[in-house]
Amino acid sequence: MLQLDRVNVHYGATRVLWDVSMTVGAGEMVAVMGPNGSGKSTVLKAAMGLKKPSSGVVSLNGEELQGKPATVRPQRGMSIVLERRRLFPRMSVEENVMLGAYVRKAAEARETYEWVLEILPEIKPHLQATAGRLSGGQQQMVAIARGLMADPKILLMDEPFLGLSPAMVKNVLSIMKTINERGVAILFNEQNAKLSFAVSHRGYLLESGRVVLSGSGEEMLEHPEVKRVYLGVREAAA
Amino acid sequence: MSGTHLIETLINGLISGSIYALVGSGLALVYGTTRVLNFAHGELLMLAGYFILLFAVTLGWPVILAAIATIVLVMVLGALLQRVTIAPLMAREDWAFSVIAVTIGLSIFLQSGAQLIWGEQYQGVPYFFHGVAVIGEVRMPWQRIAILVVALGVMGICGLILYRTKLGRIVRATAQDAEAALAVGIPAGRVHTIVFAISAGLAGTAAILLSPLITVNPWMGASYLLKGFAVVILGGLGSFGGAVAAGFLLGLIETFSVAFVPSEWSNVIAFAFLIAVITARPEGLFAGRGA
Repeated sequence: MLQLDRVNVHYGATRVLWDVSMTVGAGEMVAVMGPNGSGKSTVLKAAMGLKKPSSGVVSLNGEELQGKPATVRPQRGMSIVLERRRLFPRMSVEENVMLGAYVRKAAEARETYEWVLEILPEIKPHLQATAGRLSGGQQQMVAIARGLMADPKILLMDEPFLGLSPAMVKNVLSIMKTINERGVAILFNEQNAKLSFAVSHRGYLLESGRVVLSGSGEEMLEHPEVKRVYLGVREAAA
Repeated sequence: MSGTHLIETLINGLISGSIYALVGSGLALVYGTTRVLNFAHGELLMLAGYFILLFAVTLGWPVILAAIATIVLVMVLGALLQRVTIAPLMAREDWAFSVIAVTIGLSIFLQSGAQLIWGEQYQGVPYFFHGVAVIGEVRMPWQRIAILVVALGVMGICGLILYRTKLGRIVRATAQDAEAALAVGIPAGRVHTIVFAISAGLAGTAAILLSPLITVNPWMGASYLLKGFAVVILGGLGSFGGAVAAGFLLGLIETFSVAFVPSEWSNVIAFAFLIAVITARPEGLFAGRGA
C-alpha cells in the first residue's frame, strides 16, 4: 500500500532522513518509534507530502507521489492527524471535522460524518464549540475525526498520545484499534516503545534519521536492544 | 461644538475611516492568511488610481464599467505579483525577511514605473456623483456619502464571503493553519493567491472612491499604506473584522481631533493613539478575532 523507498530529507543543509525505507500494507497498524529528534515526524510529513524529500520514492498503491502536491494524498485515500492536533482553532468543531472532507462530494461526506460520529461519540456534544477551547483530549478526538472524514485507506498519526492523560491515551488507543479493525491502515509514531509495539502489527525503530531495526510488534518488544535502551530492562547477571 | 457640526464631523470621520478600513482590511487579510506584510499594497492602490483615470477620464467609459475594469485589473495584478514574486520565496524555508524585501522592492519598482509612464504631475478625476445631500442642517456632497456606502457594501460582501461561503471557510482554515489546510487537501498556495487578489481589489475600491477627492499621483499610496499598517496593528494583527473596526476608529479620531486642533496635528494624534494602544495592549484592540 504505502511504500517509502530510500527517502532522504534535508532541512536546509541538515540531512534529517537517511535512506529511509518503510512499507505499510493494507489494513496494517505500523509504528515508527524513536527518541526525540530521530526524524519520526519527518517520515510522516514526507509520506504526506508536507515535506518534500530530496531524493527517494514515496508511493501509494504503486503510484509515485513524491513529486506531487500534498493535496493529492487525501484524494488517493491518505490522510494525517498532525502532531499537537493542529485544529483550526477559531472554527467550530463541526467546521473542523467537515473540512476533513474537503476533497470529497457533499453526499459522501455526510455519510462518512455519521460513521465518524459513531466511532467518536465524545465530540457530538461539542460540535458547535470553538475547537481551540476544547481540552487536549477532546481536540485529539476532533483531529482524528477530521482525519477520518477523507475516508482514508491509510491514516497517518503524528504522536497521537502527546500531552494526553493516561486515561485519554487508553481511549485514543482503543479508537485507533477500532479504526484499524474497520480496514483502515495506520502508520503512527511514538516515543514510548511499549506503547508503540504492543498495539502494532509491525514497527520500525528510527535513530538519527536512520531505520536501525524493524520487525513485528512482538519481535520489536523482545529485541534485546529495544529492551535495554527503550524499555529499561537489564539482562540477568550470568 | 454644535449638534450639526458634531453630526458632520461624525459622518466625515466615518468616511475617512471607511477608506482606512478598506486599505487596512486588505492588508490584514493578506497578513492573517499568509503572514506577509505587503509593503507594495499602497502601490496597488496607486495603480488603481491610474486605471480609473485611464478608463473613466481618458477613455471616457461609464463610471460603473470603468470601476469594474479597474477592480478586475488590479485584482489580476495583485494575484500576478503574489504568484510571480512572493509564492516562489514562500516555498523556501525562512522566507519572512526575503518576502518583506521583495514587497519593498516591488513598491519602489511600481512607484518608479508609474513616474516613468505617467510622469510626476498630479492628475484629477472628476466627481462621479454631483450635488449635495441636505438633511436638516447637515450638508454633505453625494460623492463623499458614496464613499461610505460603497465601502460598507464592499466590506460587507467580503465579510459575507469570509464567514458564510465555502471559499471563506477555506481562507479562514488556511489563515489559521496553512499546513493543516494543505493536509486536508486545501490548495493553500492557490488560497494565498486569491487572498492577494481580494486584498488588491479592496485597495482598488479605495482608490476609485478616493480619486475624485485627492489627485492621482505616483506617491498617493504611501500615506495610505502607513495608515493601513496602523489599522492592522490596532485591529489585532491579521484580523479582518478588527481592521474594519480599527479603520473607522482611526478615521473618527483623526476627524474629531481636527475639530479641536489644527489639521497638521491630526496625524500626530492618530499615531500617538496607536503608540498608546501598542503600549497598553500589544496584541491590538480586537485581537483573537482573526480570519
